[in-house]
Amino acid sequence: MYCKMKKTLLPLVLSILSLVSCDKVSPIGVLVAGTSVEDRVKMSNLFYLNHYEDDVWLAADNDYSFLVGADSHLTVDPGRMDEMLAEGLDHGDLFYAHLGDIADTKAEYYVTLDSLLMEAKLRYVESNYRKVNDYEYVEKRNSSPDPIRFTFDEIVYPFFPVVGNHDITHNGWALWSNIFHSSFYEIDVIVVLDDGDIVFDHLIFLDSASGTLGHTQIELIKEGALNGKYDIYRNTFVFTHTNIFRPQFFEFASTFTREENFFLLDQFKKWNVTCVFCGHVHMWDERDYNGVHYLTLETMCEVNNPKPGDYLVRVDVKSDGSVTWSPVHMDYVKK
Amino acid sequence: MNRIPAVLFLLSVAILSSAQNFSGSRKYDGVHSSEYSAYLMGGYNVVTGTFVGEAVTYTRHLSDRWSASVGEQVQFLKQLYSFDVMGTYRLPVGKSDIFFDGRFLFNRYNRWRVNEPILHLSALWQTRFVDLRIGGSYIHYRMVGVDTRRTGAGYTEPVAVTVGFGINLMPRTNPWNLGLFIRNYDHFYYENWNINWGLRFYSTLREQMKLFGEFNIRPAGSLSQLATRYETSLKLGLRYVL
Repeated sequence: MYCKMKKTLLPLVLSILSLVSCDKVSPIGVLVAGTSVEDRVKMSNLFYLNHYEDDVWLAADNDYSFLVGADSHLTVDPGRMDEMLAEGLDHGDLFYAHLGDIADTKAEYYVTLDSLLMEAKLRYVESNYRKVNDYEYVEKRNSSPDPIRFTFDEIVYPFFPVVGNHDITHNGWALWSNIFHSSFYEIDVIVVLDDGDIVFDHLIFLDSASGTLGHTQIELIKEGALNGKYDIYRNTFVFTHTNIFRPQFFEFASTFTREENFFLLDQFKKWNVTCVFCGHVHMWDERDYNGVHYLTLETMCEVNNPKPGDYLVRVDVKSDGSVTWSPVHMDYVKK
Repeated sequence: MNRIPAVLFLLSVAILSSAQNFSGSRKYDGVHSSEYSAYLMGGYNVVTGTFVGEAVTYTRHLSDRWSASVGEQVQFLKQLYSFDVMGTYRLPVGKSDIFFDGRFLFNRYNRWRVNEPILHLSALWQTRFVDLRIGGSYIHYRMVGVDTRRTGAGYTEPVAVTVGFGINLMPRTNPWNLGLFIRNYDHFYYENWNINWGLRFYSTLREQMKLFGEFNIRPAGSLSQLATRYETSLKLGLRYVL
C-alpha cells in the first residue's frame, strides 16, 4: 500500500512544487489574480514615467488639507464613495487619497465607479476652473494676465488611489488600471508661502495589494525611484494598502513578512516620512514607530460599516510645515 | 581573524544535525540523551536576494519527559543572526505524544539594525503520521541606534497565533520518511498569518545518524491576499545522537 501511495503522492507533490515556482499561481491564497505584482509595477512605472513624472504635480498656497479614505469595496451602491468626493470638494481639499479595495471586481462596479469619478471631476472643474472658450479652462486661483489653459482632459482630477488586494482578483487589475493606470507613483506638492518661499511636500503611493511589494518595486525603491525630484522635502506622506501594524490580537488580515516589514520601516525612515496611511484590515490603528506616524483606517464601505461614523481622515498641513489630522464623519447609510 | 575559528567551529558542527527539524519522533529513545542537529541552507528572498546559512541545535534529554535545547542560526547574505533556548515537556497521550514547548528566541536583522526578541509557547501533538502545533508568540522588535528622543523606537506586536500541520508518508518510527507541512513559522521566525509550506524528508544513515532536509516555499500574502512569490529555500542537515 505504501508503494502505491508513494507512486501517487510523489508525482503529485512534485507537480505542486513545480507550479508554485510561478508567481501567477496561487496554490494557497484564497484569491487568484492574473497579473502579478511584478507585472503591475512594471506597467505602473512605465505609465508614471510617460505620463506623470513631469506632468502631474499639485500646487498650494500656504496651508492645505487632504482627505484619505480606505476600503470602499464599491458594488452597486456608490453612496459612500460619492460622499467622500463631495466632502473633499466642499472642504476645498487639495487632493483625495484612497488606500485600496476601492471596488469589488465586476465590470459593472467599475462602470459605476468611472461614472462617479467623471461626475466628480465635472463638479471639481466647475468649482476650480473658469471656462475661457468651448474647450479650454483656466484656474480660478490663477490671477496671472495670461494663465495656462487646459482642456478638460488635461485637468488632473486630484483623486489618487493605491491598489488593494480585492482590486486585483479575477483580472481586476485590467479594470482598475483602465481607470487609474498606475499603482506605483509619486507626486510633488509645491507650496508657495506668503513670504514668497517655495517648499515641497512629497506623496508616495506604493503597490502592496499582494502583501508584498515584490522584487521589481523593491529594487526600484532601492535605486531611488521614489526619492523625488528635489533635495529636501518638508513633509513626505506614504499611501499604501496593506497595514504595517496589527491593531489587535486576532483578525483575518495578514501583514507583511518579517524582512519586508523591517525593510519598509527602515525605508520610511530614510524617506523621512511624516505619516504612513494604510487600510486593508478594516480597523483603526494609530501609532508612532521610529519617528514616523502610522494611521490605519477603518473601512468606509457601507456594507462593513452600515452606520454613520468617522471613516475618513483629513490631514491639515500648515504653512510652518506642521501636520495635524482629524476624523471626518460619513453620514451616508445604505438605501 | 578571530572570527575564523568560530566560523570553522560552527561549520564543523554543522556537518553533524533539532527538535524543530524533521527527523522522526522528538521522543527520548531511552538511550541517547544528547542530540546534535545541524543543517546548511540556501535560498532566495525578494527583499534580500540570495542567501546561504547554517543552524545548529543541541538538545539534552533530562529525563523521559523533560528536555532542554539551545540553538543558533546565521543567514549570511540576509544578515540574520539568531539564537534560542527552549524547554520541553512531553505528555504521552495513548500512542501519541504532546510536546509543550516554551522558548525564547532572539533575532538580529542586522541589515535594518532590528533586534527581535520572541517568547513562544506552544503544544505539538505528534502521532505516527501527523503532527499539529498550536500556540502563541509574543514578538517585540526595536530598531537599534535610533534617536531615542523620537517617538516609538520599539514595538510589541499583539500575540501572534502559531499553527502548524504536517503529514508523513510513513510512520514516524520508519527509517526514512517523506512528508508535507504547512505552518506560519519556521525554525527561527514566527509570522502572523503568512504561511510557509513544503516538502520534508529524513533518512537513517546509521543507528545514530539521520540525514534530513526540507524544501520550503514561503509566499507573501495570505487569507484574502494573493499568495505571491517571496522566499524559497532548501535545508539539508544531519542529526546525531549519543
